[in-house]
Amino acid sequence: MDSSINFSEFDFTNARRVKRVGSFLNSIGLDFPSSIEHFVIAKDNNELIACGGLDGKVLKGIAVAPSHRGEGLILSIMTNLINIAYSKGIKDLFIFSTPNNIELFEGCGFNLIENCDNEIILMENSNNLQIYKEKLFKQRKEGDVIGSIVMNANPFTLGHQYLVEQAAKKSDWLHLFVVKEDLSEFKFKDRFELIKKGISHIPNVTIHEGSDYIISNATFPTYFIKDKGRINELHAKLDLSIYRNHLAPVLGITHRFVGTEPYCVVTNNYNKNMKTMLEEPSGKSNPIEVVEIKRVEKDGQAISASRVRELFKNQDFDNLKKIVPLSTLEFLQGM
Amino acid sequence: MNKIDKSAYAGTLESSDAFIEIKPIDQDEIRIELHSSVEEMYGDDIRDLITKCVQELGISYISIKVQDKGALDYVIKARLQAAILRANQKDKIEWEKL
Amino acid sequence: MKLRRSMLFVPGSNTSMVCNAFVYRPDTVMFDLEDSVAVSEKDSARLMVYHALQHFTYEDVETAVRVNPLNSIYGLLDLEAVIRAGVDIVRLPKTDCVEDVLDMQEVIEKIEYKIGTSKKTKLLAAIESARGVVNAVDIARCSDRLMGIALGAEDFVRDLHTQRTKSGSELMAARAQILLAARAAKIHAFDSVFSDVKDKEGFEREARYIRDLGFDGKSLINPNQISVLHKIFAPSKKNVEWSLDVIEAAENAKEKGLGVVSIDGKMVDAPIIARAKWTLELAKASGMLGGDE
Repeated sequence: MDSSINFSEFDFTNARRVKRVGSFLNSIGLDFPSSIEHFVIAKDNNELIACGGLDGKVLKGIAVAPSHRGEGLILSIMTNLINIAYSKGIKDLFIFSTPNNIELFEGCGFNLIENCDNEIILMENSNNLQIYKEKLFKQRKEGDVIGSIVMNANPFTLGHQYLVEQAAKKSDWLHLFVVKEDLSEFKFKDRFELIKKGISHIPNVTIHEGSDYIISNATFPTYFIKDKGRINELHAKLDLSIYRNHLAPVLGITHRFVGTEPYCVVTNNYNKNMKTMLEEPSGKSNPIEVVEIKRVEKDGQAISASRVRELFKNQDFDNLKKIVPLSTLEFLQGM
Repeated sequence: MNKIDKSAYAGTLESSDAFIEIKPIDQDEIRIELHSSVEEMYGDDIRDLITKCVQELGISYISIKVQDKGALDYVIKARLQAAILRANQKDKIEWEKL
Repeated sequence: MKLRRSMLFVPGSNTSMVCNAFVYRPDTVMFDLEDSVAVSEKDSARLMVYHALQHFTYEDVETAVRVNPLNSIYGLLDLEAVIRAGVDIVRLPKTDCVEDVLDMQEVIEKIEYKIGTSKKTKLLAAIESARGVVNAVDIARCSDRLMGIALGAEDFVRDLHTQRTKSGSELMAARAQILLAARAAKIHAFDSVFSDVKDKEGFEREARYIRDLGFDGKSLINPNQISVLHKIFAPSKKNVEWSLDVIEAAENAKEKGLGVVSIDGKMVDAPIIARAKWTLELAKASGMLGGDE
């Protein structure tokens, strides 16, 4: 009812103002989101009392000052954010938040996807997870060992090929998910095609398009800035919980294969996290065994996609030839 | 003219209001998905109200999603009509029908 | 003259206020489609107000709508909606001159004729510029539909190259001019909103001040200000007693067929009797005569 409260879109390109919003969020135990496209704030007589942001299809950083809770301010912030998203043609939205807000967001038309350790939640306002699960279920295969790999393959190397071959050997059937988010140097369409060509000789594998539910900007926003050494552990846990509790069960997955990570501390930590998250007993779903496969080396150096990108930047096709399959080489030469 | 041209929405998620999204569908029906804080007591009334309001405008082939926060009848009507007018973007408003 | 102490501003986009404003019993509810409504919500707010005006909760309260200017793409649509919905008063935004009122009147007449209503929608002109204040005398008497003029202070002080202060000295000239213009034309005069809803003392001070100046009432943005304002506008007990005496004397004189009314041998003329009637209306509305509050 109070018409003295004023809602506006916040210009977060101004560093001084971001600092002010940042300290407001810190005061209630949140951080200013690491990436954001739109940010809405509510002010009462120039005092910041509520805020919320939009990043692609994800709503985050939604907060209300303790002195103004229970006034329905979140609902106004949500309306503002949804209006912005809709005006950009984005209808299927996600919310990143904390579990105390589940009921509130349910009242805004969102369904809970995952509540991870009672620390972080992901919700969506569509039925897309259900639809994706039904699509996966149709490709279910029976067997004792149903393996899985999630890869970005940016781009596909002989290292990736080796990992898939080894995993396929150890599995009755192997499901391979390709990260769908287009936040890498190589587009999803190209990454997917190169994987398909590179594993065409392996008979017992299904290749799946990833989705918003596997290493995406919704489940795992900090994955895509891991080169800067910034994987948020909570995001990683959330992503793995969704994998374990929603996706793996519909395909009957028993194993997840990963390559060892000799260089990147962040990825190495992530792999360790994965072991705990997927293997520990839980009432919700069966454990999934994590199998690390030693990376294949060339000239005493483990093959990595980042090395491929570096060589490609220098147009060093002689060295590229040694670490990518022919199909990837031809693609790179054609670029 | 019994269809809507495109998807549209109107309203807010605030208390006493309703947030309504509509989209065209291929079947000749008025499909309603209602989420209401007063679902148990008034759910059927609200569905009737929505159906009647859409029929009065001669529209079907429509899917309607409603987040109701205890809105009065006229609020739901106003939001639904606003969404439909936005979907069809007609220059002239037939006030007699609203 | 109808009692119009409080005119509650209700943004047309604020649904809970639209639905609940009547509860606070302002003398007039004024729905806003202009500055408080974002461009993206103009259409939706217009429909909301259109339906609210026809709802039974607004049957017994006077309604006004501040429409968008006619030179905007919303003005005509706003009028089409609110006239059909039977609004009592259309509040013109930013009235600078007589033509602004006459233009609006012409459009309203056309719509009334088109829909065949017998209702004659009244007008309230908001004066929000130096030019408007200078033209206030002519504006106030230019149309028999005009029931009052109101000061819109926020835009006015900007136009005057100053800002709002606690003392209110920046509005001195405008208030005096608007009040004189309204009184000369025998229409209502309304003061501007007091926007700092947290400053209760400041609001009371300003309300008393404009009451003493002679304003009929004030625009309000917060429902909590209504009862405070009504208390301030309530007549004194002494004044009520005296007014009851005057009315009794007038009735006695009428019964006896006397042409002259007098109390204690002193003659009481028609304007005094009218003022006494007015005081009793006010007393009734303030709950002093077992009225409805």
